[in-house]
Amino acid sequence: MKLLKRIKKMEKFDLISNTIVLTFAIISLLPLYWLVTNSFKTSSEIYQMPPSILPAKLYWGNFKELFNGQPAVRWMFNSFFVSFTTTALSVILSASAAYAFAKLHFKGKKIFFMLLIASIMIPKETFIVPLFKIIVAFNWIDTYQAMIVPNLATGFGTFMLYSFFKAIPDSLRESAKLDGASEWMIFSKLMLPIAKPGIGALFILNFVTVWNDYLWQLLMARSKEMNTLTTGVASLQQAINPNIGLKVAGAALAALPMIIVFILFQKYFTKGMTAGAVKE
Amino acid sequence: MTFNKKFYSFAAAILSIGLLVSGCGDDTKDEAAGSGSTDEKVQLELWLTPQWKGVQDASEDGADYDSFFKKAAEDYTKENPNVAIDIQVIPGEERADKLSVAMQTKTLPDMFFDSAFALTEYAHAGILAPMDDIIDDESKKDIPETIWDNVQINDETYFYPFSHNPGTLAYNAEMFEKAGLDEYISGEYEIATWTPEEYEMILETLKEKLPDVSPMGLFAKNNQGDTWNLSYLTMFGNKIYDKDGQIVVNEENGVKALEYIKNLNDKELTTAGAETLSSNDVNAMFQNQQVAVSFTNSVLFNGILNDMENGVVNKFDLRLANIPGEKNPTSFTYVAGGAVFNTGTEAEVEASKDFVKFFSTDKELVKASKNSLPVRESVSKEASSELPYLEAYNKNSEYIFNFSNNTPGYAELRNAFFPELQAVFTDEKTPQEALDSFAENGNRIIDTNTEKSVILK
Repeated sequence: MKLLKRIKKMEKFDLISNTIVLTFAIISLLPLYWLVTNSFKTSSEIYQMPPSILPAKLYWGNFKELFNGQPAVRWMFNSFFVSFTTTALSVILSASAAYAFAKLHFKGKKIFFMLLIASIMIPKETFIVPLFKIIVAFNWIDTYQAMIVPNLATGFGTFMLYSFFKAIPDSLRESAKLDGASEWMIFSKLMLPIAKPGIGALFILNFVTVWNDYLWQLLMARSKEMNTLTTGVASLQQAINPNIGLKVAGAALAALPMIIVFILFQKYFTKGMTAGAVKE
Repeated sequence: MTFNKKFYSFAAAILSIGLLVSGCGDDTKDEAAGSGSTDEKVQLELWLTPQWKGVQDASEDGADYDSFFKKAAEDYTKENPNVAIDIQVIPGEERADKLSVAMQTKTLPDMFFDSAFALTEYAHAGILAPMDDIIDDESKKDIPETIWDNVQINDETYFYPFSHNPGTLAYNAEMFEKAGLDEYISGEYEIATWTPEEYEMILETLKEKLPDVSPMGLFAKNNQGDTWNLSYLTMFGNKIYDKDGQIVVNEENGVKALEYIKNLNDKELTTAGAETLSSNDVNAMFQNQQVAVSFTNSVLFNGILNDMENGVVNKFDLRLANIPGEKNPTSFTYVAGGAVFNTGTEAEVEASKDFVKFFSTDKELVKASKNSLPVRESVSKEASSELPYLEAYNKNSEYIFNFSNNTPGYAELRNAFFPELQAVFTDEKTPQEALDSFAENGNRIIDTNTEKSVILK
């Protein structure tokens, strides 16, 4: 009733635009809906044509197979731990580097910054082999640090936060200096709070990137216990009889933490991706 | 999110945990010193893609894909306490990526268990150790010649055969009955054999009597399941490769076979849009009783029967059929076995070979080969009561052809095949044009990789 009243009060334009937005929202959510409902279907029901909107019968077998005799809980922990640790540390590093490039003056700043930008253009796959060799030399194969450390220093994160820090007026920093604030105080108490939207957005983007870093995690994990959720589920797939239901159940589980992280940081993500420059 | 003391404390805590777990690490293999003394400590690693669960079968408590090899390693190390063996299961789809990086970084495992055809490129790269020195006469006699053909290149054996997985067709006998095709239904544990003419007539009758069902499952989206498509091309008695290993499928009978398949497709006797369907799609459609005749292999077949028992798939009368042939049916099989990489020390290679021989010949362990089909006749005889289709599969063994020919560059060759089928099904090319193109590209691939092959020089 309330909804009907609200719809009646809406101007025509608002009604049309809201309908369009709602339609696109439903379309965007469809893949997620499909993922979750398919995880409760058997493999043959998933392929059924025409497809069933809801499972004919809730089938728990996919999740049973995932958790039965497999360290799936440990895989989930590994995924979350690796993603969260990498993201938290990389955000700290990126913010520090971005502040230095944006606000400090030192020799070679321009050249280093150019190199940083250039590094973004190199796909990770091109240096997987030398990176692997370094990990082997450190004796880090099958460890958490092998999955975490190579992803800490990202050119993209520094570049993204650079624009946020650059947009903050220098006068703010100068005033703080005049008041006797140290560089660390300026960075931590003044600049970081202003750059919160960017940091929130970077957190989400990095989290998703690391969570989905399938190839690297596959190469680093040797023991079953060190697999992440995505590599662990993949290791259960027979080449000649792939179980699509199991894959979908694993994907649905893997999507959960990312959805939670997005919900927690959503307002920062929106602000961060759409924020204009701070005007002086 | 407030950037206050709490945040930094939290971040510091994360960093501390990170540093704490930095102590958790698996020591990489230590290089064994010496040159093969039986007392020296040897650390080995075996990789495998998921094959079967459990030591003997999936109903065991805690059955997993590495259970068999862990048990084998346990038994082996009791007799050889200086040897330690790690087992790792890797996703089949990532086999090539993992091995490629391992090759380039010199971190290959010592052994690999998988279908031989998927690993022959490593034999050609010169990194697999021949195993003829560990194959005794008893094993040679116990395993048929057609199986040995699948694991040998230039008369050298690179895989110790353990089990095999024959490919055939499967059909829904209930649909055949409804369509009045009872005379073409084989016995419950037999494999039906039809000529191409009979097969076409069967499909036409199914189409007429059961219009909601696709008579035949056909797919060509990617290289998955391409062995069946390749096998169809031998329907009229021609070969895929000549004696020099060159592709000759574009000769008269090969073209006739592809024209036959195209004709079935044009008459809508196959799944619609075959060029967009994968083998998994067709397999699922068959299980959903949307397709009457589909492809299968012994593992898939048993999987469907199990799913029917467990209520995952609705039951129907599932039977086996051979790929039709004018004179003889076509048959092929995937031979799985252990391979040894020769990139370790002499001690590691010798110990690896010894372990592969151990699990491939141990009287108890070899019984696990019935999870697909045993390669050993001795095991077949013993397991015959548990494997009702065994006799039928064994009868087919004389028709087995080596679909990969153990040719160098087979993986690349597969990627040259399915686009030609797509072109035929979408009328972009005639069957002759498609097979000419496949032969040209395929032979170029074979020649290039033969040049690179270390063992064919």
